[in-house]
Amino acid sequence: MESSELYHAKQQFILGAYSSLIDLTLPDPNSPDHNPILLYKARAHIASGSPKWVTELVPADTEDVSLKAVTALARYRQATEDADKDSALEELRDLCVEIEGEDGSTDERQKALVRVIAGTAFVWAGEIEEALETLGAGTSHENLEAVAITVQIYLSINRTDLATKEFNRAKRWAEDDLLLQLIESSIDLVKIGNDAYSNPNSFYNEQLGNPSLTSPHLLTARGVTRLLRGEIPAAKSDFEEALSQKPGDPETFAALTVASSLPGSKRGEGEQFWKYVSPRRIEVFPFVLTCGRLVI
Amino acid sequence: MSVMLTKFESKSNRVKGLAFHPTQPLLAASLHNGSVQLWNYRMGVLVDRFEEHEGPVRGVDIHPSRPLLVTGGDDYKIRVWDLRPQSRRCLFTLHGHLDYVRSVQFHHEMPWILSCSDDQTIRIWNSTSRNCIAILTGHSHYVFSARFHPKEDLIVSASMDQTVRVWDISGLRKSTPNSNAAPGTFDTFDNFSTVKYVMEGHDRGVNFAMFHPTLPLIISAADDRQIKIWRMSETKAWEVDACRGHFNNVSCAVFHPKHELIVSCGEDKTVRVWDLAKRTAIQTFRREHDRFWFLAAHPNLNLFAAGHDNGLIVFKLERERPPFALHGDTLYYIRDKYVRSYDLNTGSDIGLLSVRKFGSPYVPPRTLSFNPAERAVLVTVSSDNGLYELASLPTNVVGEVKDSSVDGKRGSGNSAIFVARNRFAVLNKTTQLIEVRDLSNSIVKSIKPPVQTNEIFYGGTASLILSSTASVVLYDIQQQKVIAEVNTPPVKYVVWNADGSLVALLSKHTITIANRNFSQHCLIHETIRIKSGAWDDAGVFIYSTLNHIKYCLAQGDHGVICTLDNPVYLTRVKGKTIHCLDRSARPRTITFDPTEYRFKLALIKNNHEEMLYIIRTSNLIGQSVIAYLQQKGFPEIALHFVEDKKTRFDLAIECGNLEVASEMAKAIDRPECWERLAQQALKQGNHKIVEKAYQQTKKFENLSFLYLITGSTEKLSKMQKIADARGDPMSRFQNALYAGDVLGRINVLKDVGLHPLAYLTAKTNGLDEVASEILEAAGLSESDVDDVPDFGRSTLQLPPVITPTAALNWPSIAAGESFWDKALANGLEGVEVPYTNGDAVGAGAAASAALDEWAREEEIPEEIDEGGWDLDAGGEDAEPIAAEEEEAPAEVADLGAGATPGISETEIWTRNSPFAADHVAAGSFDTAMQLLHRQFGVVNFSLLKPLFLSTYRSSHAYFSPLGTLPPLQLHIRRNPSESSPSRVLPVAVRTLQSIRAELTEGFRALSGSKLPEAQSIYRSVLYELLLVAVSSDKEAKEWRDLVTMAREYLLGVSIELERRRVIAEDPSNAKRNLELAAYFTHCQLQPPHLQIALRSAILIFSKANNNGTAAKFARRLLDLNPDPKIAANARQRIAAGERNPRDAVEVDYDQFTEFEICAATYTPIYKGSSSVRCPYTDAAYLPEFAGKLDALLQLTELGAPASGLPAPR
Repeated sequence: MESSELYHAKQQFILGAYSSLIDLTLPDPNSPDHNPILLYKARAHIASGSPKWVTELVPADTEDVSLKAVTALARYRQATEDADKDSALEELRDLCVEIEGEDGSTDERQKALVRVIAGTAFVWAGEIEEALETLGAGTSHENLEAVAITVQIYLSINRTDLATKEFNRAKRWAEDDLLLQLIESSIDLVKIGNDAYSNPNSFYNEQLGNPSLTSPHLLTARGVTRLLRGEIPAAKSDFEEALSQKPGDPETFAALTVASSLPGSKRGEGEQFWKYVSPRRIEVFPFVLTCGRLVI
Repeated sequence: MSVMLTKFESKSNRVKGLAFHPTQPLLAASLHNGSVQLWNYRMGVLVDRFEEHEGPVRGVDIHPSRPLLVTGGDDYKIRVWDLRPQSRRCLFTLHGHLDYVRSVQFHHEMPWILSCSDDQTIRIWNSTSRNCIAILTGHSHYVFSARFHPKEDLIVSASMDQTVRVWDISGLRKSTPNSNAAPGTFDTFDNFSTVKYVMEGHDRGVNFAMFHPTLPLIISAADDRQIKIWRMSETKAWEVDACRGHFNNVSCAVFHPKHELIVSCGEDKTVRVWDLAKRTAIQTFRREHDRFWFLAAHPNLNLFAAGHDNGLIVFKLERERPPFALHGDTLYYIRDKYVRSYDLNTGSDIGLLSVRKFGSPYVPPRTLSFNPAERAVLVTVSSDNGLYELASLPTNVVGEVKDSSVDGKRGSGNSAIFVARNRFAVLNKTTQLIEVRDLSNSIVKSIKPPVQTNEIFYGGTASLILSSTASVVLYDIQQQKVIAEVNTPPVKYVVWNADGSLVALLSKHTITIANRNFSQHCLIHETIRIKSGAWDDAGVFIYSTLNHIKYCLAQGDHGVICTLDNPVYLTRVKGKTIHCLDRSARPRTITFDPTEYRFKLALIKNNHEEMLYIIRTSNLIGQSVIAYLQQKGFPEIALHFVEDKKTRFDLAIECGNLEVASEMAKAIDRPECWERLAQQALKQGNHKIVEKAYQQTKKFENLSFLYLITGSTEKLSKMQKIADARGDPMSRFQNALYAGDVLGRINVLKDVGLHPLAYLTAKTNGLDEVASEILEAAGLSESDVDDVPDFGRSTLQLPPVITPTAALNWPSIAAGESFWDKALANGLEGVEVPYTNGDAVGAGAAASAALDEWAREEEIPEEIDEGGWDLDAGGEDAEPIAAEEEEAPAEVADLGAGATPGISETEIWTRNSPFAADHVAAGSFDTAMQLLHRQFGVVNFSLLKPLFLSTYRSSHAYFSPLGTLPPLQLHIRRNPSESSPSRVLPVAVRTLQSIRAELTEGFRALSGSKLPEAQSIYRSVLYELLLVAVSSDKEAKEWRDLVTMAREYLLGVSIELERRRVIAEDPSNAKRNLELAAYFTHCQLQPPHLQIALRSAILIFSKANNNGTAAKFARRLLDLNPDPKIAANARQRIAAGERNPRDAVEVDYDQFTEFEICAATYTPIYKGSSSVRCPYTDAAYLPEFAGKLDALLQLTELGAPASGLPAPR
């Protein structure tokens, strides 16, 4: 059983409360929780777009494979040159091979984490097949985070059927884990015939009501759900609130742009946002990218 | 009862208990080694095993209505199991017995489980509360069996103490509700469970006892080798009789659920069948080594299971195939030994003749042959080594049905059929003789069959089909000779089609379809046993196996129509209805969908109209059809069913449909696709597509050569530039050579430092100046090279272009496709059209072909500019290429096994909607453009681009549930609660309401005299209306009204703006000024706006002293009931007009003839004169504008054919 501290860190990580996770003070280095929490913290840095802090956070001479993996991921996300990216990916591949070997020094938790981190990097690199293989998609592992990533990969390639299968498999052993609920709700964001998004809607409503953490990410999530449900004014208020908590968050801003272009908004409002968004930070606005690709 | 047909056998440890599933073909067997097996006896597979008991399991039962199994074993435990396939497991265990549990049984309605044990008790358990609710004590030794009464509250038990006891448990039912008051205390139980009868008679232990399903009878089996039958009344029970014959312990005996029979088994290794009424043995079935331990009868079917030392057998006691013959719409068949007629149309079912006295009473008749001319039947039975009987059917049945023995004519024979109106043939298998008899049953002819014959069938006029062990023979009776012989496994049934041209020969696992003289035939194999068959009216053979109804076409293709729970015997197929008899010989009908085989049949017969009809009227889309079409060599038809891009591409290449292939290549955008496309296009001489493909794959050399051979010099020079930009001198040189550009060649040679060659080239081409420049550059003078021989003037020249092919494609025959393209694209437009996306260009008929060409031209240059020529501009383009290349692998990224990308929701959107708006939302801009072109004749899309982009943008949200991963593209749907993929549509980014609001803004601008603003608003309204999807006819009408209104306003405002322009530019042009002002008043504006137009016209006309016309405008103004002030002013004008009705300036304005205003020239088009129309707004233009871009919107081609707004969904 994990300590409440670790549990809390995990919950924050799952629900995207990265900023509060980053502000978290690490426990004593000798505590068994030190490394796991450090890992969450490092990954929160990466996820919130500041991978450079990871190198300062994680000791360079660590023997822990999962810490090595997270450093590699940070390097990958930070790299601008292809060569650097490739070397980071290679390191992750090596780590994956290493954990396959029957070496007593790494426990299951670390192995699972290495797979998750490597899988994440492969997804970013567009190596979906490799990611799925690394995450053990379709095999009977009990690595819930891997399942979550697998599911999102399947969703990204429109395979809700496989995603649902993977989720059902996990449901057998993962009981009612928070992450499992998240997986379920994310499948319903994509699936056709999802009972009007009732699952994600209630999940994010519930999590927003959780007193122990606040995260603009959750607000954005609920906003997106509301947007999908066609509740545009409600969605916009969520986005605006999220932006007030975390100004300039690209994901939220993009969603707000979409919401503002739909009927029920002021004329030209969407265009205005779009003009603000489009020239900027293309890499963080995937929809700018796809729109660009579609130019007639 | 001459038959005992074994249906299934298994080998295992000793079987101690058996139970049939009431509805599914499942059998539970409990074994001596502690295992409980669940068999599917129809398929012959072990479905599951339950292995939680320790030691032998003796009792097993399956719940009659719920998926539950109960077992009891020597571990004293009773276990209840969930039988559902997904959760087969032990639900709970009942503890309480103190010794081996011998039998268990579910109650048929109460949640009770009955068990008995060697602890001398019988217990009843409540399976809901899982408590023991009654303990019946009384037996003084092991209790071997206990069974509920099928209806009453009684139990019968059999014990080692040599008694059979009947217990009354009616008290238990009444007091069940409070029975859980004192669990564990057993005293209370005795109140409601009393021994009713104790039946003594056996002088050894009794192994088994059961109630008769309907009669007040009990049967018991004992170690005294006897089976006793007991009768009981309200007050007593007594022994009726005993069946003696087993020569060792009888372990089990059961009543036949339907017939008056008893089936028993024992340790003498036999299963015996007894007549219940006569108590005589009918049949004995012996096994060599296996003692039998248990028997179970299926509750509904004619099936039994017996467990023995080494496994179990499932068997039935008689054939169930009802004999039948079909004549016209009447089916003659035998049920329960009555010949009956069944009218397939009315459903009237009448018994005509009894055959009860024919053959053994236990054996049902085997075949029936009907003679319509004499209204006679020929029945055979297999008892007594085969008998036949010829009997006539009464024409109308009054009172009691006659028995065939009255006037029937009998004889011995294994197989008997009518061969002519007054002849029938009888086969005697042992003597191998076929006798032909007349209706008085005297032999007319005797035939020695040419082969060992097991059965004979009708073979057409005066012919017989003889079934032998390895072949069938078609035999002519008159000539007594073999017509044909076909090798096949033994044929059991023969089915002729309606007109006698085709025959199906059914064996156990094969069907042979042959024509009437067996000259052509084909064989179909089935792994499952074939039961029966019938011909469809269209010449398709429909047959039934144990668990399917299938079809097969004459050339051998076959497929499944539906699955069956229980076998049926097909009698006739007509349309969508299958008539059949079930196992109890009850007529039934099954409706099915013949689409699939009809389609295949039409395909074989090349009947395109029929196929088209089928495609239109049914949703025949599926992988199987596609694969079938492809496999059968109809890729071009398959193309119309395929949605998957890759398959579509493959198919298009296969059938040479370059249009579709290039569409798909564009969509897939992978180098290998482009390459294959290029190859195919090259073969067909379509060099435009080749060019495109080469551009996509950046094959510069190939491109250059292509341009050379097509004589496209201007593109060759472009290639030169590209080569320059690429810094590839070899390519530059090559292109220069191809293009005949000498200077270019020289420059290349100079640039790479090959000065000698450059010099010589210049020299030989007579470019002396250049030559000397080169020399100079090389620091040499003419004298230094005087040792170079003079090569003379080069005569090498670029071959002249004789036939310019650069702009032409090699013509290809457009046959074959045309029917399908036209039919599908036109006819299916309103239906489900997943494929028009691909070949929309081919959609129009011949008339629009030229237009399409034009539209394509519009598109292609654009693409070239963006695609292949992006090198043109030189250095800065290096970047986009790299980006593109990087992107490609990312998109291509091979996906793991089982993880090929699914159908994107956007693809579903495009499939579900005929509206451009939805296609745009899905990002499928090209199909959207095609739709707009087809529906509204739009040809200029650049103005719509921002709308396209904003619509696409607004239809998707991006969000990553896991923050660590890149976000997902989420699709915003129109109806969030839609659950069917065939109806999901994208969110309506623009609605009629939002557009109407915009239009109102335009009115405001008009009233405020902000005309340019108003004009742009109306224009954008019209643009946006193109991207509105309507959902009902009402909306469609509203949409049309909005288009018309916006068009009129736009026209009006444009006229007024033009007028102001004219005045500003040329104030002296009073005539045009007046005309335009007058035309403005003829736009269909709403009254307040029309007032503005009229007032302005009045002002302008009176200023020009055209008082007469001004007065006319004033009258029109008064009709609109304006403000009193304005009205007064208008009256003044009328008065002025009356005073001076002359017009100072002559204008081209005739208000008395109806006219429309040309939207390009702003001149009137009077009624009756010709005009062209904008295919979108219906605005009128002078005829000379036909084929031009419309002036109002700059969108459409005037006069282009257009289908208009598609029907709402």
